Amino acid sequence: MEKFLDFIVRAGSLDRRIIFVVIALVVILPLFFPLGLPIRPTNSSQDVYNAVEELEAGDKALVSFEYGPSTKPEIHPMAIALLRHLFEKDVKVYITCLWPDGQFMAMEALEQVADNQYNKVYGEDYVLLGYRPGAEAVIKGLVSNIRKVFTVDSQGNFLDDIPMMVGVNQVKDFDYLFSASAGYPGTVEWVQYAADPTGVTMSTGTTSIQVNEVMPYVQSGQIVGILGGMPGAAEYESLIGQAGIGTSGMDAQSVAHLVIVGFIIFGNISFFVERRRSKKY
Amino acid sequence: MKDKQFWSVAGIIFVLFMIYWFAGHPYFVSERGVMFWSILIVGGVLIYSTRMAKRGEKIFLRTIPGLKAVEEAVGRSTEMGKPVLYVPGIMDMDQVETVAGVVVLGHVAKMTARYETSLNVPVSRAIVMKAARESCRESYLMEGRPDLFHDDMVHYLTDDQFAYAAGVNGIMLREEPAACLYMGKFYAESLLLAETGNSIGAIQIAGTASPSQIPFFVTACDYTLIGEEFFAASAYLSQEPELIGGVKGQDYLKILAISVMILGTFLNFFHDLGWTSWDFLAYLTVQ
Amino acid sequence: MFFKRQLPIAIAATIGFLTLFGWFVDEPTIKSFVDDDATQWFDILASFAMFLGALNLLKMQAMKVMKKQKGWQYAALAIAGFAFSFTAGFILLGSYNVEITEFDDPAKVATVLASEINLDEKSTENVLVAVPEGDPYIIETPYFTKNGADNVVEQINAAGGTAHMRATDWGAHISTRGSLFNWMFRFIFTPLSATMFALLAFFVASASYRAFKIRNFEATLLLISGIIIMLGRVPIGGSISAWFILYIVVLALSAGVNTWFKNKTYTLASVVGGVLIVTIAGFIMGWPVDQPAIFYLPVLQDWIYNNPNVAGARAIMIGIGLGIFATSIRYILGIEKSYIGE
Repeated sequence: MEKFLDFIVRAGSLDRRIIFVVIALVVILPLFFPLGLPIRPTNSSQDVYNAVEELEAGDKALVSFEYGPSTKPEIHPMAIALLRHLFEKDVKVYITCLWPDGQFMAMEALEQVADNQYNKVYGEDYVLLGYRPGAEAVIKGLVSNIRKVFTVDSQGNFLDDIPMMVGVNQVKDFDYLFSASAGYPGTVEWVQYAADPTGVTMSTGTTSIQVNEVMPYVQSGQIVGILGGMPGAAEYESLIGQAGIGTSGMDAQSVAHLVIVGFIIFGNISFFVERRRSKKY
Repeated sequence: MKDKQFWSVAGIIFVLFMIYWFAGHPYFVSERGVMFWSILIVGGVLIYSTRMAKRGEKIFLRTIPGLKAVEEAVGRSTEMGKPVLYVPGIMDMDQVETVAGVVVLGHVAKMTARYETSLNVPVSRAIVMKAARESCRESYLMEGRPDLFHDDMVHYLTDDQFAYAAGVNGIMLREEPAACLYMGKFYAESLLLAETGNSIGAIQIAGTASPSQIPFFVTACDYTLIGEEFFAASAYLSQEPELIGGVKGQDYLKILAISVMILGTFLNFFHDLGWTSWDFLAYLTVQ
Repeated sequence: MFFKRQLPIAIAATIGFLTLFGWFVDEPTIKSFVDDDATQWFDILASFAMFLGALNLLKMQAMKVMKKQKGWQYAALAIAGFAFSFTAGFILLGSYNVEITEFDDPAKVATVLASEINLDEKSTENVLVAVPEGDPYIIETPYFTKNGADNVVEQINAAGGTAHMRATDWGAHISTRGSLFNWMFRFIFTPLSATMFALLAFFVASASYRAFKIRNFEATLLLISGIIIMLGRVPIGGSISAWFILYIVVLALSAGVNTWFKNKTYTLASVVGGVLIVTIAGFIMGWPVDQPAIFYLPVLQDWIYNNPNVAGARAIMIGIGLGIFATSIRYILGIEKSYIGE
């Protein structure tokens, strides 16, 4: 028994590299051998879905890409799922980017969903306005006059030459707003400077880390629903019935979380044994 | 400004404003009136507290362990002959937290100058580099050690969030600083920095007002200044009565905010029940 | 001294007052300054300051290499990376398209084109034939160098077709698929950034292993809520039955009874009694996974997110808001002067 307790105490000061290896294994293995765990949408994901469901064909949605390659694994799946839902309902999609690398993310998502999957026409069904520097100033500009901020789209076309831009002058002209955000400028700025002053329905998708920061806005009704990290993306994919990267990542994340909980419990057992021994002596 | 002068100027401004107000306040955005009056009240309370502190009113400032530990951390670095690493966040000078981070850096630089300890400040924005450099230069000058200051103690790495985190982690692993201070605005890189600092056994103190990063810092650092504590750091470290007065003013404002919240809860409750027609929440919502 | 003390404070106070109170003024010039100009000025200043940053970076790294300091190899790599990005962004646009406007004899043009689009000659010929009459055929993958594109143009012209080289506009090359900069972004920058972000998963694991210890009541609460969130947030949490959690609760309560009364009989009674009650209730209700809902992890997780978490987050946000406001006022009024070294 004493030897076993010794082992537990020694294992309590586990080298973090061992933890890293175990985490790497439990993340990689489910990607090759999927478990197919059922995905249950949370209320906040359901709210985003319902908000999009309320849109009708021809309605206008402004989607903002505020993430880069680093947070792509978390945000990109939900951006793709949302675009799929919007195009499925024939909603006109207008895309802006408050981050410079957001434009690359938007291009990639549009190529995959608008061009390859739904064969949508650029300028008629969707438009990529592109990136403008200035953070909050860009949002304020869009609220007062879109043409003040964007004279041309990301491809250099004049806004007045784009068919779907006719009659679209400010944020108030949109029926729905979605911010796919990984930080500043992002969700909070869109709520403060666009959604709140104009009253346009807004939803968001953020990294898991940011959820607790954005949650107060969701609970007060300033934001209608939130997709939180990869689980949020997986839930949205299950709601629209199109499994994607989010769903395939859920098994890995589930097992990883379970293993981390296992580590925590093990660490506590070791901590208790150690504390008991030190009290004894 | 002496009391008499101060009240004279304040009185003149007040009278002029009242004339403007009763003349129909042209050009004024009336829907934002609540915010305007709030700013005046908040500004007034802060000025009042500052002036009271300047006049010698005794103000109790509770001990903030994280700030008390800053000097300890610099001392430890000196004993070990290792540098102090200071990270002023990843945002630009348009964020108040970065400015607060640069302000605290000034105080830390005074300590490193006093103890003759080397200071390393990698930054992620060029403007922050200039501001931080000036702040350090002044501190070394004020401590009478301009010879110890050199421009490169504050140096630029990159604007990109994770490239910056990688750069700082590299510095930590190569130079093994004895103390790592993180004061400013942080995002997901916070844990990358703090965990690496932890792995090299450095004493770590963080200060931030980014709510989602506070848990990470609390987990991986020895001390964490949460939100207001971070903004009060300058007052605490300098012990200037003017600044400490401002902190007290903040407490008054907190009492005021809590009172408005309680009052608002009741008024909203009455409005929802249909007892009053005045929608207090709509009144407070600034468009 | 005036330029280092009074002037910066005066500028901070004037611009601060203007931007703060300009928000309440309905005058186009002031409004446009507050909404657009002020922030744009900052952006312009910050953009120029980039040069300072870049020069400082190069100077530091070059010194490291020259003095052969510890890790100088990394410094050399940083300089090389800088030079490559600079070249890809400003000099070698790396996005030259070849446009074939006339191909009266597709079979001949296909002999040259086949190797360029990685198809056999027959398939290439079919591709050319399928192009609507009057439309040009553009080779999808752009060429990194002008010479590379010119060579193909020459070969196609020699084979009887008419081809032109078109360079992407300066600026637009950054977002053009296939350009050197775009290639660098997609295949170097993206994986490197994602790798750094992915490190978080490992660091979260090691940090929580080290920090989540039952030291006192608050730490226990933190640990329990942390575990509920971690499991309840992912699908596996939904597969853990509420009854299993109930059994754990019974055991935890019994541990509490043991600590409180230090009596083995009481402890045994609470364990046996608790397990019996839960088991009987389970049989009566038919063991539904998500009932009783308050012991179902996803529901518990939702509740923690929406209630205690939001309450805490709001309190911190209000405090931080007040702190930011008070600090800003201190700068505007010139009470806080530490940012200029005072």
